[in-house]
Amino acid sequence: MSILKLDNLTYSYDGGKKNILNGINLEFEKGKIYAIIGKSGEGKTTTLSLLSGLTSPTKGHIYYDDKDLNKIDKYKYRSKMVGVIFQGYNLLPQLTAEENVILALDLAGKKIKHKKEVAKNALLSVELGGDKVRRRILKLSGGEQQRVAIARTLCYEPDIIFADEPTGNLDNDTGDGIMKIFSKLASEQNKCVIIVTHSDKVASFADKVITLKDGLAE
Amino acid sequence: MYIIKNAMRNISRSLGRNILIGIIAFVIAVSSTVAISIKQSAQTAEAEALKNLTITASIGIDRTKLQSEAGTDRTVFRELLSSVETLSLEDMQKYSASTEVKAFNYSLESSLSGSDSFEAYTETDTVVAATDDTKDINAPVKENLGGFSGIGQQGDFTVIGYNNTGGMSNFISGENKISDGTLFNFTNDNTCVISDTLAAYNDLAVGDTITVTNPNLDTENYILTISGIYTSTSTSDSSIEMKFSTAQDPANQIYTSYSTLSAITTASSTDATVSTNTDGVELTTALRSTISGVYSFANIEDYNDYKDNLTNMGLSDNYTLTSTDVTQYEASLAPINNLSNFANIFLILVLSIGGVILVVLNIFNIRERKYEVGVLTAIGMKKYKVATQFMTELFMVTFVSIIIGTMAGAFISVPTANYLLENQISAAQSTETQQAQNLGQVGSGGGLGIAPVSTESVNYLDNINASIDLSVTAQLMGIGVLLTIVSSLGAMIFIVRFEPLKILSNRN
Repeated sequence: MSILKLDNLTYSYDGGKKNILNGINLEFEKGKIYAIIGKSGEGKTTTLSLLSGLTSPTKGHIYYDDKDLNKIDKYKYRSKMVGVIFQGYNLLPQLTAEENVILALDLAGKKIKHKKEVAKNALLSVELGGDKVRRRILKLSGGEQQRVAIARTLCYEPDIIFADEPTGNLDNDTGDGIMKIFSKLASEQNKCVIIVTHSDKVASFADKVITLKDGLAE
Repeated sequence: MYIIKNAMRNISRSLGRNILIGIIAFVIAVSSTVAISIKQSAQTAEAEALKNLTITASIGIDRTKLQSEAGTDRTVFRELLSSVETLSLEDMQKYSASTEVKAFNYSLESSLSGSDSFEAYTETDTVVAATDDTKDINAPVKENLGGFSGIGQQGDFTVIGYNNTGGMSNFISGENKISDGTLFNFTNDNTCVISDTLAAYNDLAVGDTITVTNPNLDTENYILTISGIYTSTSTSDSSIEMKFSTAQDPANQIYTSYSTLSAITTASSTDATVSTNTDGVELTTALRSTISGVYSFANIEDYNDYKDNLTNMGLSDNYTLTSTDVTQYEASLAPINNLSNFANIFLILVLSIGGVILVVLNIFNIRERKYEVGVLTAIGMKKYKVATQFMTELFMVTFVSIIIGTMAGAFISVPTANYLLENQISAAQSTETQQAQNLGQVGSGGGLGIAPVSTESVNYLDNINASIDLSVTAQLMGIGVLLTIVSSLGAMIFIVRFEPLKILSNRN
């Protein structure tokens, strides 16, 4: 059964003059990893923005758990049901790594007593520990920041994880480690992981690879 | 809860920005505290002064109205003035029958001369006090049985007869005190009280008698018995006008009962000789006397109501009710009212300028934190929650600054208020002095020798107890909340208009 369904998804800008997506029909299921690949400008990141509710389609519908996304509170959707790992990390620089993760827990409305422990475990799962968890974001390297961004998404266990180039700034070993975590989340926790990537290596972890070309999905 | 935690964390992690906002809020709080406390204290001082005010008033001819009717024609004004009769005691008593009037007292005043055994007190040789000399100056036509237009001669003493103690304001205020003997009786028993200065001057004691004469007819004598001697704190050398008349010297004032003085003036009228001079003016040897009625009121409202009701009670509009107490009270409030108005304007300016600065600062602040808004909304924080968090941050900073500012304001408001009030009083007094000098009215012992138009100086309310009470604190908190809301409003609009994807795309 699909957790996410795209029905004739169309997205254009400049008043419909430039089409990015041209009526895409796709279904995503729980327990699987999907890789969306394609050349630059083919609409990979736009697709991810549409799926995460950050923007609305020009035409067509997105159904989350058979519910039209337009009828769902987008903030609740992003804070509880799905997790987005942005390409630019989008972490709060005035907060520490741990506080960024705790903020996501707060937004998800998780009633957990030991939020610090949960945050630390989430950070440890992406191999970030020690005093680095208490460092402010700008005092962490690009790779470390990316790991914090991933931990922020993992901590509240959403049904779907969207990731835009999640291993882009990580070394091969850490990148592999992250991909293994995604695989584990899909296979053991029945999560749906949708990754936008240029990397064939990352795509090789996917159960299904979707190629975007000329506004259509192949 | 996490919104408050985040807000507190953000305050401590963006100290520079928040200290700047705090300083502005602090300055606004200090200025507002001073302004509000001055305003409030001025109102309290005004109310207190009003509460302690004993209001007495008299009905007199409305000269302003007559002057306006007459225009610039002085002859018409004189005619109008002479056509309006002064109110009789019966009329005054009739108008006292009103619920607003707390008490009605009346007195009779006349001027009498001394005798060989009883002379008016004079301070220096230059003072023209001798009976004959006085007459030389004021009444060169004694032989003609009266002065200008039959007004009569000015005597050496002012004799005042009261109907009861209620009207004896000099004794009630403590200016005069019985130091020996007792007060006169309020019956027609020819008893009186004289000043200790006059008693010493004439070597008189309680129980002695004095002989006063009609200044228009020195064969008309009246004998009064001294029942008491009073001391007066009024100085006899405080005004140059005393050099013209010994009767105006406080030492030469004789107090008796209304009945006694009324009997004397009635007897004088009965025995008077009336003649007409070459100008056709009727002259009389009868003692001139003036009756005064004083109405007392419990409060200013009663006074104002009574003033409004007088016409309904049948009083002609040629008369008006005037109160020196109310006039003095209003004049005494001038500096404090100026200060209060100044405080008001200052408060409006501070709030306007401070508010604008805070609004601009917050808009810059939000623009600077646009990325933060984008991230928070992108990971699922609702815009109103983002706005609430930002507003909480601002409110906390403003609130703390206002508390510190209020304390600082409370500390400096009293000296500031009194300093500003002192300046206002000084300015008012300077204007008053300047006006007096313009009119040739200089202080005692100099000048052109013209008596001041008004000898009553204004006792300005010269101290206010500027303090911070619950009301001031509540007003300040209100200002704080208002400033926070107003200054956040622009920022909130920005937040609502921000689209997370756009912000983050631009950033990326």
